[in-house]
Amino acid sequence: MKRRKPARAVLLLTVGALALVSASAGWGRSNTSSAAPFKVAWIYVGPHNDGGWSQAHDEGRQYVQKMLGNKVQTTYKENIAVGAQFNQTVASLVAQGYKMIFATSYGYVTKAVAAKYPNVLFEQATGTLVTKNVAEYFGSAEDTIFLSGMAAGAASKTGKIGFVVAYPIPEVIRHTNAFALGAQLTHPGATVRIVWTNSWFDPAGEKKAAQSLYQAGVDVLGQNVDSPATGQFAESVKIPWVGYDSDASKFAPKSWLTASVYNWGPYYLKRVKQAMAGTWKSGFYYGTINDGFTKLAPYGPGVSATAKTQIAVVERLIESGSFSPFTGPLYDQSGKLRVASGVRMQVLKGGTNSLYGMNWLVKGVIGSPKG
Amino acid sequence: MRTGVRISVERRLSQPRWLTVAVPVGSVVFAFLVAAVVLLATGHDPLPSYRLLFDAAFLQTGSLDQTLIAATPLAFTGLAAAAAFRMKLWNIGAEGQMYMGAITGAAAGLYLGGRGGPSAFVIAAMVVAGCAGGMVWALIPAILRAFFKTNEILTSLLLNYVAGYVLTYLIFESESYWRQTKGFNASVFPTGKPLPPSALWPGWTIHVQGGIVVPLGAGLALLAAGLLWLLYSRTRFGFEAQVLGDSERAARYAGVRVRRKILAVMAVSGAIAGLGGASQDGDFNHALDGDPNGLQKRGYGYTGIVIAALGRYNPFAVVLIAFLLGGLENAGNTLQGPSFPAGLVGVIQGIILFSALGGELLIRHRVRIGRRAGTVARATTPEPAA
Repeated sequence: MKRRKPARAVLLLTVGALALVSASAGWGRSNTSSAAPFKVAWIYVGPHNDGGWSQAHDEGRQYVQKMLGNKVQTTYKENIAVGAQFNQTVASLVAQGYKMIFATSYGYVTKAVAAKYPNVLFEQATGTLVTKNVAEYFGSAEDTIFLSGMAAGAASKTGKIGFVVAYPIPEVIRHTNAFALGAQLTHPGATVRIVWTNSWFDPAGEKKAAQSLYQAGVDVLGQNVDSPATGQFAESVKIPWVGYDSDASKFAPKSWLTASVYNWGPYYLKRVKQAMAGTWKSGFYYGTINDGFTKLAPYGPGVSATAKTQIAVVERLIESGSFSPFTGPLYDQSGKLRVASGVRMQVLKGGTNSLYGMNWLVKGVIGSPKG
Repeated sequence: MRTGVRISVERRLSQPRWLTVAVPVGSVVFAFLVAAVVLLATGHDPLPSYRLLFDAAFLQTGSLDQTLIAATPLAFTGLAAAAAFRMKLWNIGAEGQMYMGAITGAAAGLYLGGRGGPSAFVIAAMVVAGCAGGMVWALIPAILRAFFKTNEILTSLLLNYVAGYVLTYLIFESESYWRQTKGFNASVFPTGKPLPPSALWPGWTIHVQGGIVVPLGAGLALLAAGLLWLLYSRTRFGFEAQVLGDSERAARYAGVRVRRKILAVMAVSGAIAGLGGASQDGDFNHALDGDPNGLQKRGYGYTGIVIAALGRYNPFAVVLIAFLLGGLENAGNTLQGPSFPAGLVGVIQGIILFSALGGELLIRHRVRIGRRAGTVARATTPEPAA
């Protein structure tokens, strides 16, 4: 048999392709004249319609587009991995003239990227890297997650609740603790069993986690991950479910209790306007229930009238500032007192006893804070 | 035998040279035609979409720079797969071998760089450590195959998951040497410890398109391709490996030491994948990337298998195809957005790959419509690789 020369074939193919490409190099260089819109991009860890975290951000993007009309041009990039793919995406956005980038997950923006594009304004959700052109934003979801935990506790008969969680990091640990503390308020002695998925968005893994929790005997499910897979599983075994990030009641109309949801739109609008006016300044924004950043999604059929009243009372206390879920006394899993009576945890200050540094789970949570 | 029109696929006795050019070109043209139907059906004008695709992959400012970032790891994993597949040793584990190379490469960079060694020495050590890490991981399925006849497809594939968990463990679930533990930021979200400046790999900047940085890894991949080509076309080792791939019995008669060959070829394959992992540290991430949403989400090792097949295991063709696929991936990233769903990008990429691979069939076989020719040998086994 004659020996083929595949390398040559491929070479010819490429030369042909390059010739074609260079012949058409004049294409598409249409200029952008006539009051060019301000270009803003969003980068998501999952799909823009994930039914959770990324969807909430995308609703914020659409809000900005709607409010500012043709003065802005927005786009998004979905399913972007941290590291090289993020950097690559930023480079191509900058090349296309995007001036402002909302990176909606921690780990995306590094000092090196920020320094490489000093004229691009970066905003990163949930992180702590604040530089001249990187601002951070997030909010006290723990308050509303506490309230959603109250709904879960009230709906549980056995006091055994399951919670599907993403990464063993302070953000998720804080949310888990808030959920457990809320559940224990309406159901004294309730336990919250957790399973880590090591991913923000992994419908198959989340379903498996929910399944294993159900087999371990929980009668209510909650989550701190992005997809509604836990809810779909809960619906299939007819147990109540508390969602996260977005109103996902349509995925499990019978099981749906409520969820802590985000309203990113107003913050995005404010920041984009500032960027357009040249008054943008880096900073660390921590939204609250009062400025509409977080709220509780509409209740499903499984929330009792009593529970609704209890939640409403606590919500008012949080709004007035007289109550915060992370006020001592707080005990960890081993029963050790971590936060003294009357002491309120702060967002950034206090090391492992701060909201952003918390690496321990409260009493009643079953699972390891190390993953 | 029933009468009637039948369509049969027969092996070609000889393969005209023009086919090896016409078929790949035809496949790609066919793919663009099929993709055009999909684009039209979803309400997108095909021509501007393709223009955007080419622009984003190769033409617009900075595009080649970005394409090289996507292509470099693919070249390594493609070469790793090709090196093993040449001997019909189905190493599916380039993915895991790459993680291991990233771990050992980062360890060398952190340790030696931290002690203030000269940069060239630190980088050389990272290259060696990356190769060694991938090699050791590849030797596990190699030993199992050589001494216990265990199917290397399964063992090498499953070890990918093990390597992934190790990677996650090092950054997320332990306070390992690779993890950044200093400072408040490190406690908020786990990240790898940044490599010291002397452990960062240099790149050559070409001053076109606003500066294209050719990463050191891309150069090393090209070098690896050259060495692999020499190994398989100019040495006794490579010849024996191919004989062994074609027929183990013939090889044994000829005195080829089979076990030794299996170990050696897997070691070469794993070393190339491991080098790709070290390049991820030194060229791009500048730390060990243990995030399950980072390196592990990219699936470079699996794409490498497709690249090896498309390149027909020829090292230079593999590098070239890695470059083209890198462009496609980079373009896909640029193309997606509110008016162009990421899923559609994936569909187009899938159609192109599927057509290109499917076209291969037509080079080695012909489709006969009508009566069957009696004497032509039928394809019963896959043809030995070139």
